[in-house]
Amino acid sequence: MREFFAASVSRCSELLLAGSVGTVAAAKAWLDDDDNTVDVLLADLGLPDGSGLEVIRHAVALHPRCEPLVISMFGDEDNVLASIEAGALGYIHKDSAPEDIAQTILAMRAGESPISPMIARRVLSKYRSDQASKEQGLVEKTSPSPFNGSAQNDGAGAPRGLLSPREQEVLAFIARGFSYSEIARLQDVSVHTVQSHIKNLYAKLSVHSKSEAVFEATRMGLLPRHG
Amino acid sequence: MAPPAARPSMNVWCDLVQGLVWAFGLVFACLAMQARAATQELREAQATVAVQGLTTRQTVSLPYHWDQQHRGQSGSATFDLTFQTKALPTVSYGLYVPRLGNAYEIWLNGALLQRNGDLQRFNGPDYAKEPHYIAISPGLLRPDNLLHVRIRADVGRRGGLALVTLGPEEEVQALFRHEYLWRTAGSSAVVILSLLVGLGALALWATQVDPSVSGRRKRPRRDRLYLFAGVAELCWTVSVSDAIIESPPLPWPWWGMVVITAAIVWVCSMTLFCVEVANWSRLPAVKWLRRWLAFLLAISGAASFGALVAGYPVMLTILYATSGLTSLVFVALFMHKAVRGASRLHRWVAVALLLNTLVGLRDIYAFRIGPAYGENTWLRYSSVLFGLALAYIVILRFRTASRQVRELMANMAAQVSQKEHALQQSYQRVEQLAREQERVSERTRVLRDMHDGVGSHISTAIHQLQSGRASREEVLHTLRDSLDQLKLSIDAMHLPPGDINALLANIRYRLEPRFLACGITLQWDVDLLEPIARVDAHAMRQLQFMLFEALSNVLQHAQASSLSMAAHPVGLLGLGARVKIIDNGRGYDVAQARRNGLLSMQQRATALGMVLRLDSAPGRTVVEITID
Repeated sequence: MREFFAASVSRCSELLLAGSVGTVAAAKAWLDDDDNTVDVLLADLGLPDGSGLEVIRHAVALHPRCEPLVISMFGDEDNVLASIEAGALGYIHKDSAPEDIAQTILAMRAGESPISPMIARRVLSKYRSDQASKEQGLVEKTSPSPFNGSAQNDGAGAPRGLLSPREQEVLAFIARGFSYSEIARLQDVSVHTVQSHIKNLYAKLSVHSKSEAVFEATRMGLLPRHG
Repeated sequence: MAPPAARPSMNVWCDLVQGLVWAFGLVFACLAMQARAATQELREAQATVAVQGLTTRQTVSLPYHWDQQHRGQSGSATFDLTFQTKALPTVSYGLYVPRLGNAYEIWLNGALLQRNGDLQRFNGPDYAKEPHYIAISPGLLRPDNLLHVRIRADVGRRGGLALVTLGPEEEVQALFRHEYLWRTAGSSAVVILSLLVGLGALALWATQVDPSVSGRRKRPRRDRLYLFAGVAELCWTVSVSDAIIESPPLPWPWWGMVVITAAIVWVCSMTLFCVEVANWSRLPAVKWLRRWLAFLLAISGAASFGALVAGYPVMLTILYATSGLTSLVFVALFMHKAVRGASRLHRWVAVALLLNTLVGLRDIYAFRIGPAYGENTWLRYSSVLFGLALAYIVILRFRTASRQVRELMANMAAQVSQKEHALQQSYQRVEQLAREQERVSERTRVLRDMHDGVGSHISTAIHQLQSGRASREEVLHTLRDSLDQLKLSIDAMHLPPGDINALLANIRYRLEPRFLACGITLQWDVDLLEPIARVDAHAMRQLQFMLFEALSNVLQHAQASSLSMAAHPVGLLGLGARVKIIDNGRGYDVAQARRNGLLSMQQRATALGMVLRLDSAPGRTVVEITID
């Protein structure tokens, strides 16, 4: 699988394969090396010595400009969401065609972030449920969450807060199956604006410290509550 | 279980000796209190007796027991008692007569001291029962005095004149108080106690029902021990009450017959009570005992009649003697059993029985044979022991019942806990079964999905390759369909039931790349739809199949350049939905298509209660599914 993705990247003239490793430890070591720079990280989640989430977090912490993409199986929205919270800005399906892989990477660099209706629906439903809880005073105000509007600065200094009404609207349209261009037309804005909404959304969903990530994932019901 | 050793144990003897010592101690204490101070006793009188019109005059010694002097006859008498007072007293004097009557007048030196009852009205109220104390003022006394006493005596009523005691008030009144305490107050106490014990025993008999044991008439069984005790105590109440009732509810001699019969009933009932205590009620000999007691009861009426009406007091003496002997024989048997390792209760009752029998025999001798007059029967006091024995039985049974209840409660608590545990295990099993069932149905659903979706497409692809007639594009299409089916079937697991928007969005997300690859542009005209409650997970998956089938047909056969997916609410409240797939392809013969590919769509729609409408012409084919 790694060779397939590496080959897909290598084959594209606009992309340069910086490195390819098979374990969390090797990935961390590679990222720790100051000689290595990286613009895009493709991370599989099921690595032999741990989760790709660790690699994504490590990469985001060391290389703030790095844009991680998670390699997902279809029907695996839970892990995609967890990856987004870890800092991933998009995802590529394992069964994608080689040219699609390169296209997704380039599109992301150009400002696009893909989001499926399923994930949009999940995010929206969770957001609304959290808002309802907050209105009832059930959510602790000090809890760090991209959804509860506690506009505090995280480690990376990125502001996080409420999803804007426009962002929520975009999410709702995506959940109903509308494409970016259709949404742009319906909202009378450019496709680029829609794309930037999505990208903002990803940023708001990300949690940059490991403890926050675990907290968030658990709170969102993406990880079991144990330990 | 082996019965207890038959050999008499030390405990038995200890109990018996203890009981006897206690009882006799009580009796001797009473006797000791009767020691009299030095007072003047008048033992002789000049009597004028009138019986049946015949008057005789004679000197008599006191006590004068009318029934012994004039058997079976009523009459009246006048007693003149003279006494001297050497030095005229300066303190108040008193006169004490233990028994006097049945009606009487007492005169001293011509002055009436006291009168009670009507001397002429025979069988009227009886004033001989209570001891009498009459205060004498010192002014009435002279050096030579005449005490004039007039009485009326009824048959069998223990009339007459007892020994007269004269002396200073303090000393004589002490004698009176002692006698009054024992005879009147003591009898009242016994009456009240017997009444309470009797009513209590009857209440126990009426309420303490053993519902598990039914008699021959299928009625719940009551404990006869309480019945016998209750009847005995109530009869004893009647019998002893005669000692304090001066005006009985029935005229004499009928009241006397009631009292005598009540005493015999007491004897019989107490004997049967003892039979129950010893648990002998099923012994054959007891049947004879019961007959004998019934006989005693039957002759008691006759004997009392004979004694009180016909004038044969010996009949009453014989009745009492027979009862006493019966008790004596019974007590011998009862004691025999008691000393041979019977229960503690049996031994206590044996003591009570023995004592009562001995006291009863003593009373029979003293009152029916001996010269006793103006004294008390002892039996009324010793009978209290039976009441105590009954109280002991009740306490014993209550304690046993309490223990049984405690054990039962503990047992029930253990059983409840056991049942709870079993119930919990049962719940766990049911839960496990439900989970298992859920797993099985989920597996069945996935298998059916795989069979209908991926499996069917792969089979088709194999068939296409084997036949050699299908083009590479066709096989590729089938395999892509297969992969899409797989993705859709996984997506379907996450789709919220009833959410048609989510279903359509997901289908677009999965299939749009293929439309784009085929050069088909997609128009999306999907309104916001309310979730439809009746479209469950299964219906969602079936709807997904139908839509996929329609879209796959467009991809494979329609040669369309444009495809429109539309969904709008239907129904008055907008609670239904209508989904349309419209392409601008070459169209097909709807009737023909039904026979080939779209037949299964129709079947699925029918099964789900949805309406499928196909409308096709070159340039416009519409597949419409309506969910009301």
